[in-house]
Amino acid sequence: MEIRTSDRFPGVEWVGDPGEFVRVDESRCDGCANCVRVCLAECFEIKNKKARVRSLAECMECAACWYVCDKEAVIFSWPPGGTGFRTDWG
Amino acid sequence: MEICDVLVVGAGFGGPVAARKCAEAGLDTVLLERAAVPGEKVVSGLVIPFYGFTFGPDFIREGNPPIERPICKVVNRFVRHGEIYATDSTLRVPKPLVLGYAAYCKPFCTWLADRAVEAGAELRTSTTAVEPILEKGAVRGVVTDRGEEIRCKVLIDAGGTQNRLAIQAGLRRKYLPEALELYMIWDFEMAKEDVDETFGLSMEFFHALPEEGIGAPLGYGSTLYIFTYRESIHPGLGQFLVTRGEIPNLAGLLPRYFDNFQEKVTRWRRDIAPKARLRAVTWDVCPIYAGLIPETRNMPICGDGILVIGDAAGFEASAFGDGVPSAWFSAELAADVAIEALRRGDTSRSALAAYEDKVREHPYITWIITDWRRWDLRKVLVSGSDTELRRMIRDHWGIGAFRYRYSGRPLVKALREAMRRDPRAPLKWIEMFTRYYRNWEENRFDPLSVPGKETG
Repeated sequence: MEIRTSDRFPGVEWVGDPGEFVRVDESRCDGCANCVRVCLAECFEIKNKKARVRSLAECMECAACWYVCDKEAVIFSWPPGGTGFRTDWG
Repeated sequence: MEICDVLVVGAGFGGPVAARKCAEAGLDTVLLERAAVPGEKVVSGLVIPFYGFTFGPDFIREGNPPIERPICKVVNRFVRHGEIYATDSTLRVPKPLVLGYAAYCKPFCTWLADRAVEAGAELRTSTTAVEPILEKGAVRGVVTDRGEEIRCKVLIDAGGTQNRLAIQAGLRRKYLPEALELYMIWDFEMAKEDVDETFGLSMEFFHALPEEGIGAPLGYGSTLYIFTYRESIHPGLGQFLVTRGEIPNLAGLLPRYFDNFQEKVTRWRRDIAPKARLRAVTWDVCPIYAGLIPETRNMPICGDGILVIGDAAGFEASAFGDGVPSAWFSAELAADVAIEALRRGDTSRSALAAYEDKVREHPYITWIITDWRRWDLRKVLVSGSDTELRRMIRDHWGIGAFRYRYSGRPLVKALREAMRRDPRAPLKWIEMFTRYYRNWEENRFDPLSVPGKETG
């Protein structure tokens, strides 16, 4: 499987294609930007007063976005087995 | 389609302990893990407190798990204008006794999973449990990301903080953001001689009033700490997802606190930074305040066919370490209940409810999750006084912590119970502390099925 790294966050690898394991249901989103505020990987952006996933390339699957979304607009699931974030230094 | 006796979801710290115990009892046990290697998705600034080892599973005490450094002393430093104006290092024990052992998650969880496999559990890595199989409200297994159904008589849910199975099963709700802390961790390589010389066998906390800008407002997160490993150090800090009623801009704040620390604090600039090289940056969310919020604390931890352990059950705290001891304790309790339920052939909610009683009676778990000192620090925030800050820290993270009924009592209770079960327990503890210390000195631990970390 493909392995990606990030200059901003060394010591971490992202394996394979984790798919859209974090999504935003725009019909529920009120554009409060809570998800933007708590995401250290800058996965989200606000476009036309709605949050949307910009990129999950540096996501460490912490789910902070899911927890702070009281409109239940952020949908969080686990990436498929063996894909996504991994580190030797956690 | 297959049906196993016990399906444990999650090979972090708790899952393998439960799986091992069930397999040892002769149960057909499957341990699922979504990562390719156990522990490689687990992030923690990890110093596992001594009581996890003394009162936890026998096989951990009797084994030689990969530890990074024995921690014998907590050094609390008080910072003003970047300078340390006071230090409290009253909380200490003579080696080989420890307050805790520092560890990296991947090798430690791999070591635990190896022990489960050794006992006969089947470990399936790279397998994500997507949803539970529900029949008339009872949990009967999971569907994996490959669409496979794994059926079981009892499911032990050890899915960690972000666990969804117990929520999908209608048993629990997602944690409130008030109960969660987002913490960020920086891993720095440092020569062992330098860690020895700069820190010895201690870990450090850096306390400051909010204007210093090196950590979350007091009472709303973890003070900046440096955990010390064999050839590395692990600074970290964290903040509530909700701070004074607002969702703070943590994406900006957490890195800024650490930038300020590196720039302003002389101890870092002069004594540490010249010898340290950044190797990794990670973060995670943990439910360390879950026990302090009634709605979160009172969520069920068992249902028809399901038992929830560790972080997934909210058994996490920050006062004297992290969630590993309670994951171990709850894993053993859940396994005991599952074994007994299967022996009687009844895995209904009422048969598994014994788990709730065992958790409530456990000397440590309840104390760990309900320790209100974590919120007491807010008083300092209001008073804004250095003297008050020092007193609070001494009482909370210094030797004062043991003066109090609420931390002294569980320790005495656990000691008494352990001695009643086995009068020779203290001798076993001394043997363990001595052997662990020698293992660390000789850098020799049990071999792992998968190497713990990259070398070179």
